[in-house]
Amino acid sequence: MPEPLRINKKDRKLAVDAKMADVCFTCGTCAGGCPVTGVDGFDPRKAIRMAALGLDDELINSRFPWICTLCGRCENQCPMGVNLMKTFRKARTLRDRDKVPGPIHKGTMMNLQRGNNLGIPRDDFLMLLAEVGEELAQEECPGFYVPVDKKGANVITTINSKEPFGEPEDMKFWWKIFYAVKEDWTVSSTNWEGVNWGLFSGDDPAWKEQVGRVLENARRLECKTLLLPE
Amino acid sequence: MIEYIQSGRVKIDKSKHPQLTTAHDPCNYTRKSQMAMGKSYSDEIRWITKQLVDNFVDMYPTGMNNYCCGAGGGAWAMPYDKERIFYGRVKAKQIQETGAELVVAPCHNCRDQILKGLTKEYQLGIETMYLWELLAESIIIEPWSDEEIEAARAARDAQFERDGVVLEEMEEEE
Repeated sequence: MPEPLRINKKDRKLAVDAKMADVCFTCGTCAGGCPVTGVDGFDPRKAIRMAALGLDDELINSRFPWICTLCGRCENQCPMGVNLMKTFRKARTLRDRDKVPGPIHKGTMMNLQRGNNLGIPRDDFLMLLAEVGEELAQEECPGFYVPVDKKGANVITTINSKEPFGEPEDMKFWWKIFYAVKEDWTVSSTNWEGVNWGLFSGDDPAWKEQVGRVLENARRLECKTLLLPE
Repeated sequence: MIEYIQSGRVKIDKSKHPQLTTAHDPCNYTRKSQMAMGKSYSDEIRWITKQLVDNFVDMYPTGMNNYCCGAGGGAWAMPYDKERIFYGRVKAKQIQETGAELVVAPCHNCRDQILKGLTKEYQLGIETMYLWELLAESIIIEPWSDEEIEAARAARDAQFERDGVVLEEMEEEE
C-alpha cells in the first residue's frame, strides 16, 4: 500500500495562496469550459484538487500545465476567484529546467546569451533588414529603409524572431504602415526580440530580464512609444 | 493603429477586402490584459477591423469569453501537436459557424495556429491575416516626395556606413 500523503502547508509548493485551491467549490465551471478537459484524464478542476490535496509533484510532472495554453478562461469565470491560470503557470515554474517540453527553455537561454530566441547574429540581422527594406523601397515604398538605433525616434518596435528567421516578408506589413504615415521609428540592433519565452517556460528571472531589455532599448534610444507587435 | 486611422494619417480602401470577415480575440489582448492591467482590447480589435472592411461578423462567444486558438502559452512551439490541434477544434468550429472567408488574428501565435494548423486540419478554407497585415494591405500608399526620398536615402547611407552594411546592388553600382 502506498504511503499516505501528509499535507503540510509549509511543504506545499503550489497552494501557496489560500485563494488558490482551498476555496474551490468544485462546481466544474472551469472544467466545463476548457477545450482540453479529458486529455490525459485531466481537467482544470482536477488539477486544482491535486494542488489542494498536496499532489504537487504529480501535477508538476504531468503534461497538463503544458497542454493547457494558460488562456485564463477558467480563472476569469471562476465564481470563487481561484487563481487557476496562475497555479498552472506556477506548476511550469516548478518543473526542472531540463524537463521543459520543446524548444522554449533552450530559446530562453539563447535569448539571454545572444539577444534573441533563435540566436540570429547582429550582422545577419542588420543585413536582412537592409535587404528586405530595399526590396520594399523598390516594390512600392520609394525612399523606405529600416532606421536602426535611431536616437529620439517616436516609436521603437521589437521584432518577433520568427520573422527574420523564416518569414522576413511579413516584416513589411508594419513597415508599409510606418511608410504611409511617415512615422519616425526605429529598431534596436541588439536585444530586439519581441517574444518572451520565459513567460511561457515558467522562468521568472528570464521573463523579467527580457522585459527589462525591451525597456532599456527604449530608454537608451530615448524613444517615446514602445511598440510590441505581438 | 487606432491613432493612425482616426487622425486620417492612413488612407484606407475598404474595397480591397469585400469578403465576410471575422476577428479572433487573442487571450493576451482580452482576458490577460483585463486581469493584469484592467483593460480588455476586444473592442479595439473590432473597431480597427470595421474601419478596414464593410462586411464584418462576430464569432460566438467573443471578448472575455472567447476561446483560445489552442496554441497559446507557448503551445505552438511545444511538442504536443495532437493536443494543440484537438484544443483548436473549438476555435475552428467558432470560425466555421460565422461563414466568414477572412479571419483577423491580432497575435503571431494565434495567426500561426489558425493559418498553419486549424485551416488545414479542419478544412476551413479561410484566409487568415494579422490585424496589422489587414491594415497594411488596405492602405492606399502614396509615394514620398523627391525631397523626402533624398533625405531618407542620405540617412540610410549614413546608417549603413556606421553599421558596416553593404548591399549587393549598391556594390554593383560602384
